[in-house]
Amino acid sequence: MSSAEEIKDIEAQIEQILFNVMDPEINLNIVDLGLIYSLVFDGTETVEIKMTFSTPACPLGDAIVMSVKQSINNVFPDYQIDVQIVFDPPWTTEMISENGKLMLGM
Amino acid sequence: MNNLHTDNAPSLAVVIPPFIFGSLSFFMLTILIMLTGSDLLGVYFSGKLLAITHLAVLGWATMIVLGALYQLVPVVFGTGLYSEKLAHVTFGSFSLSIILLVYSFWNSAFSTTLLWAASLMFISLSFFSINILMSTRTGTQNIQSKYVTTAIIWLLLTALLGLLIAFNFKFHYFSQLHLHYLKVHAHLGLVGWFLSLIIGVSSTLIPMFLISHQLEQKNLHYSFYLINGGLSLLTLDWLFLKGTFLIPLYWAVITLGILFYLNFVREAFVKRLRKGLDTGMKYTVLAVVSMLLPVVISIFLLLKYEGDNGFHMRAVTLYGFSIIFVLITPLILGQTYKTLPFIIWLHKYKELVGKYKTPMPKDLYSEVLGKVQFVIYYGAILIFMAALLLQNALLIKTGSYLLLLVAILYNINVFKIIFHKIQTESISA
Repeated sequence: MSSAEEIKDIEAQIEQILFNVMDPEINLNIVDLGLIYSLVFDGTETVEIKMTFSTPACPLGDAIVMSVKQSINNVFPDYQIDVQIVFDPPWTTEMISENGKLMLGM
Repeated sequence: MNNLHTDNAPSLAVVIPPFIFGSLSFFMLTILIMLTGSDLLGVYFSGKLLAITHLAVLGWATMIVLGALYQLVPVVFGTGLYSEKLAHVTFGSFSLSIILLVYSFWNSAFSTTLLWAASLMFISLSFFSINILMSTRTGTQNIQSKYVTTAIIWLLLTALLGLLIAFNFKFHYFSQLHLHYLKVHAHLGLVGWFLSLIIGVSSTLIPMFLISHQLEQKNLHYSFYLINGGLSLLTLDWLFLKGTFLIPLYWAVITLGILFYLNFVREAFVKRLRKGLDTGMKYTVLAVVSMLLPVVISIFLLLKYEGDNGFHMRAVTLYGFSIIFVLITPLILGQTYKTLPFIIWLHKYKELVGKYKTPMPKDLYSEVLGKVQFVIYYGAILIFMAALLLQNALLIKTGSYLLLLVAILYNINVFKIIFHKIQTESISA
């Protein structure tokens, strides 16, 4: 079991990894896009991620989920990644980070 | 389980053959237009013009729609395709019926091959309708799904009337001239099938691709009832009352419905997050805005119905041309770039994303080629419209060469996407 500090450190590392996961249609990473609602590492081997899509009917949804899992497992091969897709609250453009807005030319 | 829409995606073997057939049909269409040449300026009820029209709306547009709709059923309805086997059978019989139909029109075999072609066409479109309607039974019911379901019903009615017209060439049971029923057949297909489908699918895809949120759905509801109500009354009047003085009223109702839809698109455009438009969306937005052109021509036709016969004929040809080449074709050209690369990308890279650096869907085709194709296409369309209005054979020839070039560029990009080879780079630490 990791200490609280180690947990925070791993969560920060995972967030950094997710900066490299792109929404293939919007061409922006999913963290700046505001798709990640929460990220929790339990201190053992499980990472729970609550995330959404820019539209409930996102045709590339499972590719994004797959990318999230595989990107994390590239660095932490033994971790169990549990991704939950939620649409409450629904994603809005307000959730995009300032950096993301700049990248999208908003 | 996440119950994602792509979990229900059909196999590539169902989706890709219609895209291949459709793209090659577009190429063949431009060849037939070139071979027809100045005959395009003549009467619209001719074998060659009917061959071109049917290759355009069935071999090209409906065939691509067939492939795209199999893929989009999970997106619009959140459910899987009812039967992949039926989809394979549909593709086979639909392809054969298109070839037979175009052959019979081109060779004016109205009382022989056409009967077989029309029968097989009706059977094929029935298979397609059953597959989509059975798929949507368990899916999400919203205004978009209502549009798609209704479009399918109009498609079946179009095919049924087409079948009856074909048999009438041999057995002569209609009380009116063929032209009268052809007019009803064309409107069932163009307004009922294509317009309903365009609105249903685009009202999902346009906000998704432009990233527009919180749009007023009421516009779509009003549009749905006005277009379908107007078209139903128009059809009944034409078929059973031979066309009363109320026709302009039904037309006005349909036009109002179109305006409500355009208002929905305007709102999506104004609220869009994505400011820059790629080739696919440029085609789409321009096509949707250009929807007003056939509307304006139709009003002109209604007002000038008793006017100069030669000019009336040209206006009718321009009306049909504007629906097929100003609305439907650019939409298909544009949406190919918004669907096909994603379908192939998903299939090739779904298991690789995250593990390796992969290309994005937009990297599967040449955007430069797409941009050149876009400019040439609209150049060709403007030349064609001028040719039809001025009755100029040289302009027809110029336009047809340009259109052939567009078809070649489009096919290059389509086959580049379909035959894309997986490219990966390892992710550096």
